[in-house]
Amino acid sequence: MGDWANILYVVVVSTIRMSVPMILASVGAAFSVRSGIMALGCEGMMIAGAFFAVMGSFFTGSPWMGILFGIVFGIIFSLLHGVLNIRYKVNQTLSGMSVNLLAAAVAPLILQIVWKSKGISPKVASFKKLNIGILEEIPIIGSILAEQNILFYITLILVVVGYYYMFKTPQGLRMRMVGENPVAANTVGINVVGYKYLGVMLSGAFNGLAGAYLSLAQLDMYIDGMTAGRGYIAMVISTFGKNSPVGAMLGSLFFGFFDALQTIFQGGVIPSQIVRTLPYVLTMLVVVFGLKSARNPAGMGKHHDE
Amino acid sequence: MKSGKLINNKFLKSGSGSFTTSVVAFLLAIVVGGILIELAGFSSIATYGAIFRGSLGSSRGLVLSLSQATPLLLTGLSFAIAFRVRIINTGAEGQVYIGAMAAALVGAYVNFLPGITHVAVAVLVGMIAGGLVGLFIGFLKIKFGASEVIVGIMLNEILILITAWLSTGPLMTPGSATAQTNPILETARLGRLVPRSQLTWALVLAVIIAVYLEWMIRKTTLGYEIQVIGSNLKAAKTAGINVPKIYLLTIFISGAIAGLGGAALSLGIHYRFIEGISTGFGFAGIPVAALAMYSPAGVVVSSFLFGALRAGAMTLNRTTSIPIEFVSVVQALVVVFVAAPMLIASIKKNLMRPFRGIKNKRESLKGGDA
Repeated sequence: MGDWANILYVVVVSTIRMSVPMILASVGAAFSVRSGIMALGCEGMMIAGAFFAVMGSFFTGSPWMGILFGIVFGIIFSLLHGVLNIRYKVNQTLSGMSVNLLAAAVAPLILQIVWKSKGISPKVASFKKLNIGILEEIPIIGSILAEQNILFYITLILVVVGYYYMFKTPQGLRMRMVGENPVAANTVGINVVGYKYLGVMLSGAFNGLAGAYLSLAQLDMYIDGMTAGRGYIAMVISTFGKNSPVGAMLGSLFFGFFDALQTIFQGGVIPSQIVRTLPYVLTMLVVVFGLKSARNPAGMGKHHDE
Repeated sequence: MKSGKLINNKFLKSGSGSFTTSVVAFLLAIVVGGILIELAGFSSIATYGAIFRGSLGSSRGLVLSLSQATPLLLTGLSFAIAFRVRIINTGAEGQVYIGAMAAALVGAYVNFLPGITHVAVAVLVGMIAGGLVGLFIGFLKIKFGASEVIVGIMLNEILILITAWLSTGPLMTPGSATAQTNPILETARLGRLVPRSQLTWALVLAVIIAVYLEWMIRKTTLGYEIQVIGSNLKAAKTAGINVPKIYLLTIFISGAIAGLGGAALSLGIHYRFIEGISTGFGFAGIPVAALAMYSPAGVVVSSFLFGALRAGAMTLNRTTSIPIEFVSVVQALVVVFVAAPMLIASIKKNLMRPFRGIKNKRESLKGGDA
């Protein structure tokens, strides 16, 4: 019995650990999609977030400054995606890919220049488990909560706030209208361009934070390729969760669970590389079979004045 | 039917002319790259000078440039041909890995094929392996409407992991400390064009394929159908073109060429499969194809440009100059600039602005607000 309880405990803890960055990234993707911009640049924004968060933490000694750096650079890369899309009307797939390529090239370059090291940064100040005092005494839940850091709670708040903003405020309604039918939105006097930039910048901020979580909370350094396609998976989760922050969170937990299975199978009969393919296989299955009822806003990928 | 009717390709024949857009985009990327070099505390002129001397300044540099260009030429062709029917083959990296592995296995374990047939079969198997992965992506796209971008990326991760497992597990060279398969036999090696270099017959093969594809697109029915689908999908369907068939054929060709890129690595350079055999060649094909405006013949030129850039950067003095990673940044910038013909047009306009009157300036500002 004790064995099973222990395994369950490990699964829950690692599911949460794996899910948090996916929640942040897919909520970001949802904002982008809702404003009518394909969320294909998430991977690049996440890479930027992960890398610059480590730089911020390295030079200031504070992981909080790291988070700030990660968010700011996530937004900068999202603006590249945004400007290419909104101002220069680039094919959204190509502009998303170019953001990803650029971030994946810039991070190793700066890494090499600043730290004279290939592919791996020095260790920096990171987020530790939060001391929750008396709450730890609660059976089961207490010990699970004791494993979390402050970003876990921030993520939960962001999901609620994001949901409220998207569905319960006039601004959120306008943003969804811009994504659904930009021409109509324009006719009733909504600032279409403004909301598109807002949507894409929110996706940059969330993905920057998601990247920062990977490098400053899951680990305490930046490693080349550490995002490992999570930005693309986030885009799928967002669609799967009907581009709602709550749906994105539930979808991320589902994916996080499969990610977490790795920890159980580690050292078992199944080779680790094969176990690590699980989240990717799952994403493919969802893309192939799971998106039948899901749909993206009608205006996504279109330029409103064409 | 004259091709002018159905083919109205805004993308390939963008207003300012695609060739100038490419040239301006490349120059812009070089200039922005130069600014980055300066920001990093190096001299951009000295760096570019050294890159030029290291790549085109000597016959050794030239050979290095060509050998660096070979995989880029193949993955560039792979991306370009698929893009002609507007399929974004992001799965090239995985196709390179599976092609490298399949070719290496034929090279190591098939021991009854005489002489040149061995290497030919190994190359062919590598191509088929890559092509089948492409076909799978195409099938999921046609049958289930799955996004080929996402499926391609996921397959990359999956194939890289599976080939890594094969080379560390069941197919690992016994007693080896690193993840690699058994060496291929002498008969399976791709011959070198220049002794003691990494320049192999793969380059010749790649150029032949490029010329063939250019001819195929321009002169054959299949090429015509590819062009119609690429420029106007609705018109293609109306005209009775079997779109799914062309999709599958094109993505198979695309995957097979990327697979050849992998076979060239394992049969021509490493003489076995090693873990991490491709360092992002699949993705590097995107800037190569974009700079060539997705023309196979153009890819020959653009892959040489990037190959020379890499070769030059490799010969830079490691301690006093910018690291080679800088080349990837220039490549990514090329994609940004090429993808945005409107950006290039507005930059050209802005460069001309000082030579015009203030009145014009006012008008263009007004135009921007509308």
